[in-house]
Amino acid sequence: MTTTTLYSVSYDLSRALLGAVGSVLPPGARDALTSSNAVTALAVLVFCVILLAASMLNTIVLIWWERKLLGRFMDRRGAMHVGYAGLLQNFADGLKLFRKTTVSPREADGLGFYFGPTAYMVSSLVIFGILPISSGWNAGALPLSLLLALTIFSFAPLFIFVSAWSSNNKYSLMGGLRSAAQMIAYEVPLLLAVVAVVIVSGSFDLTTIVYDQRNYWFWGPLFLALVVFVAAMLAEMERIPFDLPEAEAELVEGWNTEYGGMLFAFFMLADYLRALVGSILVVLLFLGGWTLPSWVPAGLTSFPLAGIVWFMVKTYAVFGLFVWIRASLPRVRTDQLLRVGWNRMIPLALLSVFLAAALVTVRCVPVLGCVPSVGA
Amino acid sequence: MASEFNATEKPDENPVLWVARPMATAARQFAKSLFRPSTIIYPYERLEDPRFRTKVGVGSGMPIGVGPVWDNYRGVHALNIATCISCNLCAFSCPDLCIQMVTVPGGDPKHPKKCPEIDYGKCSYCGFCSDACPEGCLTMTTRYELSTTKRSEMVYSPAKLNEVFRTKLPMNPIRIELPKNEDSILLDPPLCIGCNACARDCPTQCITMLDIPKPEAKPGEKVAKRIWKEPVVNDSDCVRCGTCISVCPKECLFWGGSK
Ligand code: SF4
Ligand code: SF4
Ligand code: SF4
Repeated sequence: MTTTTLYSVSYDLSRALLGAVGSVLPPGARDALTSSNAVTALAVLVFCVILLAASMLNTIVLIWWERKLLGRFMDRRGAMHVGYAGLLQNFADGLKLFRKTTVSPREADGLGFYFGPTAYMVSSLVIFGILPISSGWNAGALPLSLLLALTIFSFAPLFIFVSAWSSNNKYSLMGGLRSAAQMIAYEVPLLLAVVAVVIVSGSFDLTTIVYDQRNYWFWGPLFLALVVFVAAMLAEMERIPFDLPEAEAELVEGWNTEYGGMLFAFFMLADYLRALVGSILVVLLFLGGWTLPSWVPAGLTSFPLAGIVWFMVKTYAVFGLFVWIRASLPRVRTDQLLRVGWNRMIPLALLSVFLAAALVTVRCVPVLGCVPSVGA
Repeated sequence: MASEFNATEKPDENPVLWVARPMATAARQFAKSLFRPSTIIYPYERLEDPRFRTKVGVGSGMPIGVGPVWDNYRGVHALNIATCISCNLCAFSCPDLCIQMVTVPGGDPKHPKKCPEIDYGKCSYCGFCSDACPEGCLTMTTRYELSTTKRSEMVYSPAKLNEVFRTKLPMNPIRIELPKNEDSILLDPPLCIGCNACARDCPTQCITMLDIPKPEAKPGEKVAKRIWKEPVVNDSDCVRCGTCISVCPKECLFWGGSK
C-alpha cells in the first residue's frame, strides 16, 4: 500500500517541475537537473514551502474562525464584508499590516526589538515541521517529537521578554515580566499532564501516541490530564482568561505595546500559530489525532486525505472550545493566576500522573478497554 | 467594606460553577444567535426592510419615520429653498456653528437670498435649527447615510439640502413649542436716522418706512440731517429674527414689551 505523505507529494512535485524545466534544456543540463540529488534538494524546499503556506493559511483562517465564533457568542456576526462571510478579511488586515512602516521607539534597543518578534514567529513556525498532521505528513519520524515540540513551544517567554525589555516601555516590560512568570508557572503542569499521556502510551513520538489511541482516545481515561493540559495551554497561549501579559485595560497591549505594522503582525500571527499548535497538541494527545473510532462508517475515513480533513475538523473544534472559554470567562488577576498555577494545577497534574500510572498497572478498564502495552 | 476586596475571602459557591455557569450562559447565547443574531448585515440589509420593521417598532404599512421609534429621528436636514426667508435664525441657533448662510439664486441684488449650508462634519443633529426655523422649511429627515471619502463632501449646500427635501423622506414631525417671544421690536425715535437698513434686510418685509413730519427749525438750532422716515413693524408678520436690530447702524432698535 503506497500512502501519500508530505514528502512523497513534494518529491513528485519537484520531479515533475524539474522534468518540465529540463525538457527544454540540452541533454547535459537536463541530466544534472533531473538527477536524484537535485530533485531531493528541491523536494526539501518545496516541502518547507508547503508547510509554511499551510501553517500560515491555517493561522489566518483560524483568526477568521475565532472572529466568527466570538461574534455569535456576542450576538453578532463577526466579519462579513470581505470575501464569503468575511473569509478574506484577515488576509486584507494582514496585507495592511505588512504594508505599514515599522516604527521603533527612539530609546528601544534595535537588535532585541527586531530579534524578539522574528524569533517568536520563527520558533512558532518550526513546531509545524514536527507535528504530524496525518500519517506521514510531518517532517520526519522523530522518536522524541513530542518533547521537541514542547521544548520549542516553551522558548516563547524568552523571546517575549527580549522584545518587551528592548521596547523600553514600562507597559511592555510589565507585560513581559507577567508573561515570563505566567509561562514558567504553567509550563510545569503542562508537562506533567503530558507525562500522563506518555505513561499510558509509552512513547514520546506523536505518531506512536496517535496510533496508541486506536482502542480509545485518551481524553476519557485521562480526563483530568486533559483539563490540566487545556488550562495550562490557555495560559501558555496567553488567551483570555489568562491574557494578563496583554491586558489591554491595564497594560495598553502588554509586551507588544510598542510594536506596529509588520512586527505586530508577526506577534499576532505567532500568537495564533501557538494557538494552532495548542489545539493540534490537544487533538494529537487526547483526541486520537487523524484517526476516527472504528464504529464510524468506512466511507467517512477512506476518501483521499481523510486523515487531514478529520484532523483539521478536530483542531478547529478544539480551538472553538478555546474561543468558548474566551467568550465566557473574565480575565483573572495576576496573583490568582499564579496561585492557581502553583497551588492547584500542579497537584492536579500530579494526580493525573498517578491516575495514568494506575491505569497502566490495571491495564484494562471495563468500559474503556485495554491500554496499549507499555514499551511495545 | 475592606473585606469585600479581600482576596483571601472564601467565596461561598463551588468554584467549578465559576467556570461552568458563565460557559453555560455563553453557550446559550451562542445557540440563540447562531441562527438569528441581533445584528443585521447593514449595507446589504437595512432596518427599513419590511422584515425588520417589527424589530424597530415601525408599524406595518406605515412609511418608516412614522412609528414609536422613528418619528423623532433626527437625520440629514431637508431644506425647502422656496419658502426659506433667509432669516438667519437657524445659523443663530446652531450650537456647533456649522451653518453658514450662503447666497442662492433667487434674490434681488440688493437683498440677496441666503440659505443655510450645513457642515455635517460638525453637526450634532440637535435639531435646534429646525426648531428655530419660523417658516418650517428646515426640517430633519430619517436619512442617516453620510459617509463619503472626502471631507468637503460633508458640507451640504442649500441645493443639496433642497434635493433631500425633494426626495420626500419622512420628516421629523416633532417640533419643540418654543416659548412665544412676546417681545416686539421697539424704536428709540430720537436716534433713528431713517436709513432704511432694517426695512431692506427684514426677511419678511414687515417693516414699512413711514414719513414723519420734518420739524420746524428752532431759532439758533439747525434741523437734524436725516431722512424723515421711521420704521413701523407689522407685528403679526414679524418672525422675531432680530436682523433689523443687528443691521441698525444707530442701535436704535431693541426688544421690548409690546403692550
Ligand atoms: S442640527 Fe443642531 S448642530 Fe446641526 S445644523 Fe442644526 S442647529 Fe446646528
Ligand atoms: S431659519 Fe428657516 S427661514 Fe430662516 S434662514 Fe434658516 S432655513 Fe431659512
Ligand atoms: S425682527 Fe426685525 S428684521 Fe426680523 S422679522 Fe422682525 S422686524 Fe423683520
